[in-house]
Amino acid sequence: MNDIVFTGIGVISSLGIGQEVFLANLRKAKSGIKRITSFDTSSLGSNIAGWIEDFDPRQFMSPGIYRRMGRISRMAVAASIEAVNDSDLILDTLDRERIAVIMGTAYGSSSHVEEFYLSLLENGPRGAQPFLFPETVPNAPASHIAMFHGITGPNTTFCQNEISAENAILYARGLLLQNIVDVVLVGGADELSPVLFMCYDALGALNRIKVEADQPVKPEPGRGLVLGEGAGILIMERRDFAVKRGARIYGTLISGILTGGVTSTGHYEIEGDQMGRAMSLAMEQAGVDPDTIEQIHVSANFSGELDRMEYDRLERAFGVNTASLRVIPLKYLTGDFGGVGTTRAAAILLSLHYQLPLPTVGAEMLKARPQHSLEWEICPGRKLQFALMTTSTFGGGSTGLVFARN
Amino acid sequence: MNAGPSTRVAVTGLGIISAIGESVPEFKEGLFNGKCGIGPISLFDTKGFMTQSAAQVKNRNLKALSGSLGIRRISRCDLLGLIAAREALSDSGLDFDNCDRNDIGVVLGGGAGGMLSWEKYRRALWSKKARPRPSLLLSSASCTLTDLIASRYRLTGSRATIVTACSSSATSIGFASDLIRSGAHEIVITGGSESLSELTFAGFNALRVVDPEYCRPFDKNRRGLSLGEGAAILVLEDYEKAKKKGATIYAEVLGYATNSDAFHMTSPDPEAMGMSRVMVKALERARVAANQVDYINAHGTATRANDQLETKAIKKVFGEKNAGDLAISSTKSMVGHCLGAGGAIEAVATILALREQVAPPTIHLDEPDPDCDLDYVPLQARPRKIRIALSNSFAFGGNNTSLVFGRGQV
Repeated sequence: MNDIVFTGIGVISSLGIGQEVFLANLRKAKSGIKRITSFDTSSLGSNIAGWIEDFDPRQFMSPGIYRRMGRISRMAVAASIEAVNDSDLILDTLDRERIAVIMGTAYGSSSHVEEFYLSLLENGPRGAQPFLFPETVPNAPASHIAMFHGITGPNTTFCQNEISAENAILYARGLLLQNIVDVVLVGGADELSPVLFMCYDALGALNRIKVEADQPVKPEPGRGLVLGEGAGILIMERRDFAVKRGARIYGTLISGILTGGVTSTGHYEIEGDQMGRAMSLAMEQAGVDPDTIEQIHVSANFSGELDRMEYDRLERAFGVNTASLRVIPLKYLTGDFGGVGTTRAAAILLSLHYQLPLPTVGAEMLKARPQHSLEWEICPGRKLQFALMTTSTFGGGSTGLVFARN
Repeated sequence: MNAGPSTRVAVTGLGIISAIGESVPEFKEGLFNGKCGIGPISLFDTKGFMTQSAAQVKNRNLKALSGSLGIRRISRCDLLGLIAAREALSDSGLDFDNCDRNDIGVVLGGGAGGMLSWEKYRRALWSKKARPRPSLLLSSASCTLTDLIASRYRLTGSRATIVTACSSSATSIGFASDLIRSGAHEIVITGGSESLSELTFAGFNALRVVDPEYCRPFDKNRRGLSLGEGAAILVLEDYEKAKKKGATIYAEVLGYATNSDAFHMTSPDPEAMGMSRVMVKALERARVAANQVDYINAHGTATRANDQLETKAIKKVFGEKNAGDLAISSTKSMVGHCLGAGGAIEAVATILALREQVAPPTIHLDEPDPDCDLDYVPLQARPRKIRIALSNSFAFGGNNTSLVFGRGQV
């Protein structure tokens, strides 16, 4: 089988704009979660999120191009520009029909949905703003990426809450393995909008912390999720295609499993069987023993429901040494959003390629007992060869992906 | 599992609810009798809009149906989807007690999802007249129906929802077929659901692409689309295994393709390159020659641009002469444009056409546009030999999908 490899990375994150800053801040376990100042949270139960305050689309494209795009599309296109440049792909030399754009997002441009609907409520049918409407579709970011780069191959968007970007990675893998395309720009993106934040707050899902300016931000594990935003785009290719053009290879996707658990709307899987199955099958399919996995990237997001279940399943998948097990809950630094999967994968690939270990926390943190406080630590020494990325979402879906060093 | 490109994919169960029929038998009757489902909307106030019409599901007992499903507080979109899923799964005869549920995936196409419920919440907040229930927000995500169907029937295989506007559920059928061909699953539940909502209704009105009365695809006097709602669910299975157990095989999913115009968010490429190339790619992947195709279920929205360009695209793919031999219809003339569910509803129409060997009509096509000079089966259904059929979906953002179906067991 021809390996599926990654040859380009672009990141727009609350940990930094661009992969270099992102990795540097990640290695310091710097948190991107901070007090929200971009909109009014005074009436809400929380005022923190992993939001991005320094993203300027002008650094990537001209105002004429991004003028009609929503924030999520601007971030997605910006990340795609970095990824394409990073990969050294010369698009003009390629068959554009054999390049795909596959994205994952939970909600697309929720700010456009809100703005358009409010224009209708406030001004009536004749006052609804037509130019806002096309940006309300979740496939807008993928379409803008295709338009920007002139890519006419397969173009699909997945919306499966917190496994949206993972869905995109697995679909992209399928396109490459079937030889339908040679290159995929695969990504995930979501924006933090006032309406989205308000809805999560209304549902009681958020970590109920309100901080004053200059106060440290310390979300409490197990007390509710913390939202985030950003975009991560990866360039995926078959190995033979990448090698032939002399591409730098960051790493390989050696397995990918997609499962779905039973639950009620708005909740994570009831017992975690499918989460566990995704973890175990991913390692089995990759042909790696659990004790050879140096990095375990978990999808823990400060919500008690997910984090505790994830701990429980790690315990089963990794056996008796869980007390010494260390994990990487990246969402504890970036916040959670549907498209964060490719940002998490970017962290893995950068770490594997440069052999730079990432900060970890003890798996016990996921049990979210009140006395825990987060202590990040980089554990040096081991050669980094394999990483497991496990993700579960409310609604029941789960994925397990195993990446390997090239 | 050892599947591969030679693995065939069968459609073994169908379920549907639409403005022209609330089950497959009713839908079939409406489809081939040219029933018009477009009429006044009762779901929300339409005063002041360009049109007051859409193809709304008319069953006044939808609330009672939700009771029979045993689910309270469900969005309209999810309710339509569960009704269609119930029919499809029953129709397929699947015996879940003797299936490995890990081997059954659920892959749907989504659209606005529970938008109607979100609008209730948002309007209440805006008007400050009432404190809205937060539970109205629970079904906001487009994937809620995917999760509901999977949980209801305890199906623990792959879980995915594709949201690419008008091509969502067509692409989901394609992806579902990929999962079977790759050996990942033996069975995948696929399709989509969409309910009318103020936001989408206002959006298309604001863009001024709606017909004030009812859509007239390919007609010289067409003025735009009519929105619709509904749900269609299909059960896909490994063909040989389905045949071996004696399942009804309605049709075969021979292949599909998706692509991007990479041109504009709402206007199609004026050269129709994206539309034509997606049909070419779909036929290539299905290993079907153009001259084997007898019927196309067109995207046929009745906008000035789409219908003219789709005609141009079909001619590019099939050649002027062969294009003229095709039967092509827009079933949106009857069920409206069902957005995220459109691809699946039209797939069911295409499958019924193959099964019955009858091309559905394009109703309201009184005066064909000279620029749309192909055989669009005006006004009345027509019996004809159909070996292979295409179903096209061309979406906002230039997301195009074309599905290729072959006859099932006769």
